[in-house]
Amino acid sequence: MRLKSLVQAWNSFFFAEESPTPIALFRIIYGVLVISTLVLLYPDWLNWFGTHAWTSLSTMNTLEPGTRLNLFKIIPQRDAWIEAFFWLFLGSAILLTVGFLTRLNSVLVFLCLTSIQQRDLFITHGGDTFLRVAGFFLIFAPAGAAFSIDRLIRIRRGKEGAEIKPRAPWAQRMIQFELSLLYFATFCWKIEGVPWIQGTALYYVYHLDELQRFPVPIWLESPAVLRIGSWLALALEFSLGVLIWVKELRYYLLALGLLFHLWLEYSLNVPMFQWDILSAYVLFIEPTDLTRAWNWVCKFLPAGVVFRLRKNN
Amino acid sequence: MRPQKSGAFQSAKYFAINTFLIFHLVAITAWCIPINSPLTLAFREYLRPYFLWSGLFQSWDMFSPNPKSSNAYLEAVIIYKDGSTELWPFPRMELLSYRERYFKERYRKFEENLNGTLYPPLWPDAARFIARLRRDHASPPGKVMLVARWSHIIATADGSNDRGPWDADVFYSYDVQPEDLQ
Repeated sequence: MRLKSLVQAWNSFFFAEESPTPIALFRIIYGVLVISTLVLLYPDWLNWFGTHAWTSLSTMNTLEPGTRLNLFKIIPQRDAWIEAFFWLFLGSAILLTVGFLTRLNSVLVFLCLTSIQQRDLFITHGGDTFLRVAGFFLIFAPAGAAFSIDRLIRIRRGKEGAEIKPRAPWAQRMIQFELSLLYFATFCWKIEGVPWIQGTALYYVYHLDELQRFPVPIWLESPAVLRIGSWLALALEFSLGVLIWVKELRYYLLALGLLFHLWLEYSLNVPMFQWDILSAYVLFIEPTDLTRAWNWVCKFLPAGVVFRLRKNN
Repeated sequence: MRPQKSGAFQSAKYFAINTFLIFHLVAITAWCIPINSPLTLAFREYLRPYFLWSGLFQSWDMFSPNPKSSNAYLEAVIIYKDGSTELWPFPRMELLSYRERYFKERYRKFEENLNGTLYPPLWPDAARFIARLRRDHASPPGKVMLVARWSHIIATADGSNDRGPWDADVFYSYDVQPEDLQ
């Protein structure tokens, strides 16, 4: 391999312009997930983040020192201000979802999201972490280039035509990279643990009372099945971390990953985590396949609705 | 392909984006992958201020390297000034409805961190919070004790759910001050 071909491969991967529909679709799903997170937190906004919260701001600063992007450190520590912060955050997440002032709102959502996590890191799970990290790269992506109010405005003003302009996908690639690294790092952590190598890990996971959700057939809880399940989980996480970049294998792995996460959503009580991770799967779908899927969906929609949607996007 | 537009601005932009990409690809990989060579550890220390500031810190060690091998939950014992006591249970996911579990999931995570020796500074805040929940009681709370209860999961040959006896430990006791109830 020559250096020149490496540079060409790099440029092709990060800068070859392509349709921004996957990242635009991701923006919508991402926005819905952030809104859902806020709605689920709503009854406890002040219990977790208020002036008399479970963890005080000063305790948080003691346990997690350092300079951090955390708006709670600059807004007045009064409950009314903290509630106002959350309403602003929710409004911004809605605007990001519909794609109005997309860039500004992606910055605001990231700032607010990272702030609530920095304010209390002791209640965050892996799904929150993924939303935070993906939100960082979403700031740099052309997320409002399709399926957005911003685009409608540009069309109305004559700044853009009916065709969606292709864009360099480098920010999208970074979110894809984050997803694959997540799986690979999980795999690396797991193979350091004896229970995963011996195949007993899932036995413990499925006997934790706090994690049990809907009933699982008895035969699935037998040690032999759970042993195979532990090893299959390792194999799948490795594949989703590494082999997902092989184009020929991608859709098979995405389908397996989807089944894997849906099964975890059914059987284990880790709310939102599976959906947060699955959100980024859309970034691995080829824009042409997304268009094909969209055309298939359109067959079932009324003609007037299809006309309007196609006109706008 | 490399952007075709010419000009110093485009070149500078291309250079800046590439620097951004290379730095983040290397840095995030070094941060996440559990290889603890002296070089990686030193690099992580170098990265730490930026990662903490930007919110890019991340850890993907769910259920690993070893998943939890015991069931555990927390309770608080509130002793009021008049000598009466009350057992205040933390939300337990297994006792909540499916809908409630979605809303109360944060408590599961919080209790996981509260119950243990890693973060003792969390304990006084939690005790104060519980005391405030009962500030309207006829007699004000005088003491809050945090209690951990746990039972080991015993792996059985047939996969049945066997568990050890429940143990308990009062891991923190807090004398409530009048200003805590304001």
